[in-house]
Amino acid sequence: MNKFFRFAAVAAAAMTVSTASLAADWSPPGPIKMVIAFAAGGGADTQARLIAEELEARHGWKIIPEQVTGKGGLNAVNTLKDGATDGTVIGMIVTETLGYNMAAAKAGQPTDVTPITTTAGTQMAIVALASKGWKTFGDVIEAARAGEDIRFGVMTGMLGDLAYVTGKENGVDFNIISVRGGKAVMNGLNAGDMDIGFGAGIQAKAVAAGDMVELASARSEPLKASPDAPLLSDFGVSFVNETAFLFAGPPNMDPAARDAIAAAIAEVVTTEGGKANAFITKGFGGPVVISGAELEMAVQKDFDASGALIAAAAE
Amino acid sequence: MTDLGAIDYVWLGVQAVFLGPEAFVLFGIPVSITLLMVAFGLVLGIVVGATPGLGGVIAMAISLPILISVFGFNSDALLPVMGFLIGVMKGSTVGGAVPAILFNTPGTPDAFMTTLDGYPMARSGKARKALKIAHFSSVSGDTFSDIVLIVCAPFLAIMVEAYLDLPEKTALLILSLSFIAAVVGGSAAKGLLSCGLGLLAVYIGSGEDFYPRLSLGTDALSDGIPVTAAVIGILVLGAIFTELEDLWHQARESGRIEVARDEGDQRLHWADIRRILPFVGRSAFIGTAIGALPGIGSTLAATIGYATGKRFYARRKAPDAPEFGEGAPEGIAATEAANSSVSGANLIPVLSLGIPGNTAAVFLILAAESIGGFNPGPSVFKFSTDLNPELVIAFGLFTTMILANLLNWTVGGVFMRSLGVLVRIPKQYLLPVVLLLTLASLYVEETSMSAIWFAFGFGVLGYFMRRFEISPLPFVIAFVLGGRLEDTARQAFSATGGDPFFLLKSPVAAAFVLGAVAIVFLSLRKPKAAQS
Amino acid sequence: MRKLSATVALGLGCIAFGLLIALIWVPFDTDTGLVERSRGRYIVGDSLAPTLAAVFILLSGLMLLVERRDGDARPSRNNLIFIGVMIACGVLSILVMRYSGPLVALLSGADEYRLLRDTAPWKYIGFVLGGVTMICGMIAFVEGRFSLRAFWIALAAVAGIILLYDVPFDDVLLPPNGDV
Repeated sequence: MNKFFRFAAVAAAAMTVSTASLAADWSPPGPIKMVIAFAAGGGADTQARLIAEELEARHGWKIIPEQVTGKGGLNAVNTLKDGATDGTVIGMIVTETLGYNMAAAKAGQPTDVTPITTTAGTQMAIVALASKGWKTFGDVIEAARAGEDIRFGVMTGMLGDLAYVTGKENGVDFNIISVRGGKAVMNGLNAGDMDIGFGAGIQAKAVAAGDMVELASARSEPLKASPDAPLLSDFGVSFVNETAFLFAGPPNMDPAARDAIAAAIAEVVTTEGGKANAFITKGFGGPVVISGAELEMAVQKDFDASGALIAAAAE
Repeated sequence: MTDLGAIDYVWLGVQAVFLGPEAFVLFGIPVSITLLMVAFGLVLGIVVGATPGLGGVIAMAISLPILISVFGFNSDALLPVMGFLIGVMKGSTVGGAVPAILFNTPGTPDAFMTTLDGYPMARSGKARKALKIAHFSSVSGDTFSDIVLIVCAPFLAIMVEAYLDLPEKTALLILSLSFIAAVVGGSAAKGLLSCGLGLLAVYIGSGEDFYPRLSLGTDALSDGIPVTAAVIGILVLGAIFTELEDLWHQARESGRIEVARDEGDQRLHWADIRRILPFVGRSAFIGTAIGALPGIGSTLAATIGYATGKRFYARRKAPDAPEFGEGAPEGIAATEAANSSVSGANLIPVLSLGIPGNTAAVFLILAAESIGGFNPGPSVFKFSTDLNPELVIAFGLFTTMILANLLNWTVGGVFMRSLGVLVRIPKQYLLPVVLLLTLASLYVEETSMSAIWFAFGFGVLGYFMRRFEISPLPFVIAFVLGGRLEDTARQAFSATGGDPFFLLKSPVAAAFVLGAVAIVFLSLRKPKAAQS
Repeated sequence: MRKLSATVALGLGCIAFGLLIALIWVPFDTDTGLVERSRGRYIVGDSLAPTLAAVFILLSGLMLLVERRDGDARPSRNNLIFIGVMIACGVLSILVMRYSGPLVALLSGADEYRLLRDTAPWKYIGFVLGGVTMICGMIAFVEGRFSLRAFWIALAAVAGIILLYDVPFDDVLLPPNGDV
């Protein structure tokens, strides 16, 4: 279900170039409201604000960030849904909001918003403190089978289901703990409140310092920082998590505005030496830019496929 | 990367304050922004403390959004912003004594006891001396309290982190909330009511489900109530309404304020200091001990400090010296040292447990949450070998406290003695202006009209709570902690594999829960007159 | 029969409110119960925490009935008059603040206000009118008369707030410009 990037990546590079001049021809009729679906100060919020800052500097647009958090991004979607369609209302969410979360909440369709462009993927991994002594996820399963209670920290509903299905495939019953945000998982691991947890990239520094290990990749491909870590498919799991950060606007958004904003954001996140680019490269494994019809199809496909995981976890 | 030890972190924290981004260069020495902000905060704090009707809370509520706009949402902003708030906190404690001594009007509620001896001293021509004694005692108490904080908080935090698992953390939150509900104000029932209302408010629109609970199907409620709107509404707007009404009832007392002329020696001699030092010491100890418990305010500390001082004084005073209440410098010392030493110790629960014990701590948490990158609580004190930026911030905060005290020792006294004029500002003009300023600040941070509506609504609720003599503090603390209480309980329940008795399985958690129940029931029985 | 004391009335009110929340509001306005089954386990549902809040309120009501008390605090008729006027004044000012700018834009046939909200002088209309209404109204009520002095103070205060927030900071928006 989640060949999200490979599905669309080919056309993306070419498109960035061809639309780069669009941003110059369009200018917003007024200040742009940027809805941010993430808590202030976290990695996702910082990314959004850095992008806003650079858009203002490059194009002279006026951007007003507004935090609308909660409900896995659905609150932000609700705000976007009724916004003006002239390009003065955009928002940053994750693809999971339009996929799993909408499907699980039975609240709306991906077409409730107009996807503009993705900015970055995630390096979703199962992480533990190095002091636990586990080298790969296989060691965790061994420990669990030997009778140890394993607490598994997750920060979204989809990851909770993924953790549950992973356990079930391997005959293990994890104690799954849901928390708010990746930072809370890291704190839980550090405090010993959890044994393992998901990290979307926030673990990068601790992994580099040797304080934490990435036990498995939750993506369809190996992790950049730990290429030797096994994939979940090695443990019989047929689902992955390839959440990407995504800008979206209200439904029926003016195409000129949409293309211009997509091009401008793509330029900001891919230009090396820029603050946003540096941040994305450090924390989220580099920019991933998909936009236009490709993005729309990918989002819709993600939504349609979410039912399988929900069903698997409900069994 | 070299391994970092505890000393390295302390040093990094000090450096973060002094060598952070610089504001300007003075005589070739760069002055860091944090340093400047602490000084600004202290000055503002002394001013609002010395202005009857204003106080540290209002100053913090107004300045927080603007500070965040200035410094932005990154971890560089934490020290300047929180340093400023700490400056305000310390300044307002000192400033409150000015109108209390000069005009018999306490600038802050906890300065009431200061009027008892301060005003008689001023009337007998010793105003400047009384102010000096108040300043000396206040800053001594504060400094003592800060030292206790700096020494205790890290150890407490490490212990908590090492020994408390999720169920115990849940139980500790329950214990703290019930403790606050039971001890604040005159009635445990009303404290519990305040706490329950705060929890109810924070649970609206939040939760794990995709449906926003308790939202009554409305858009306004489904995003939840912004924490700043609730806190500012209950604390600041509620207080402004109450004050305004008092003015309305008084129909403006027109009496001119009499100021006695200073006579004789106004200097603070070593002999004076020796005389008041035992009182300062006792009160500082009392205030610190009280401050370390969440929820018990500086007013109680001042009351107990004064009463203890009075008993001690009666045994040893010279026959011709004035009694407590007739202008005894020792009375000022006992009060001011007690109420000022609350402020530092009050940060022990917030820094080591993440549990705010008073309004200043609530604003520090709001600042940290709005800016991001620093989560006050036990996880801060992780002495990891690679850099733990939160720990650097924590030691940076300690440094700003010491800095604020040094500034307070040196220039604070001079400055506060020049502020007698502030009492003449007509409150009926000042308060509506402050109200609008507060709402504008709130908007700057939340950029949503619904936040203004919420704040106004909670202001009205805060007003009614005050008229029913229900303390607003448990409401605010419950609102700030409610989300964490629910999250921790959820996590503890899941972590134990869905054990319904998770709160009673471990002896520590069970003790905390039993303690919580016991506190509420005991407080029903004991007479409350002494605490109001 | 003795009149009901305010504390007893408050206590009874709390009991009723607590029951209302626990038995009606929470069950009908929340998706999941106290606990629910998910992923093969019991987890805490969304109703548990609000029900706890309701229990606190209920318990406080019971305690109010039995607690020893020193006074019987209650809002007097004067209190109600005062806060009623404050509410009226506040609601009116906030409405003026929110809608006067869009109204002026509409009547003058200029652009939509949403697009003008960061352009002087449009962006000040709501805040100036609403702010002056609020300050003037409250001062006039407390003083029992309307004075020109109050008006000038209000205007000066509003100008001061604009100078403090709007002029130095490019990113800061005064009400209601952030979310129109």
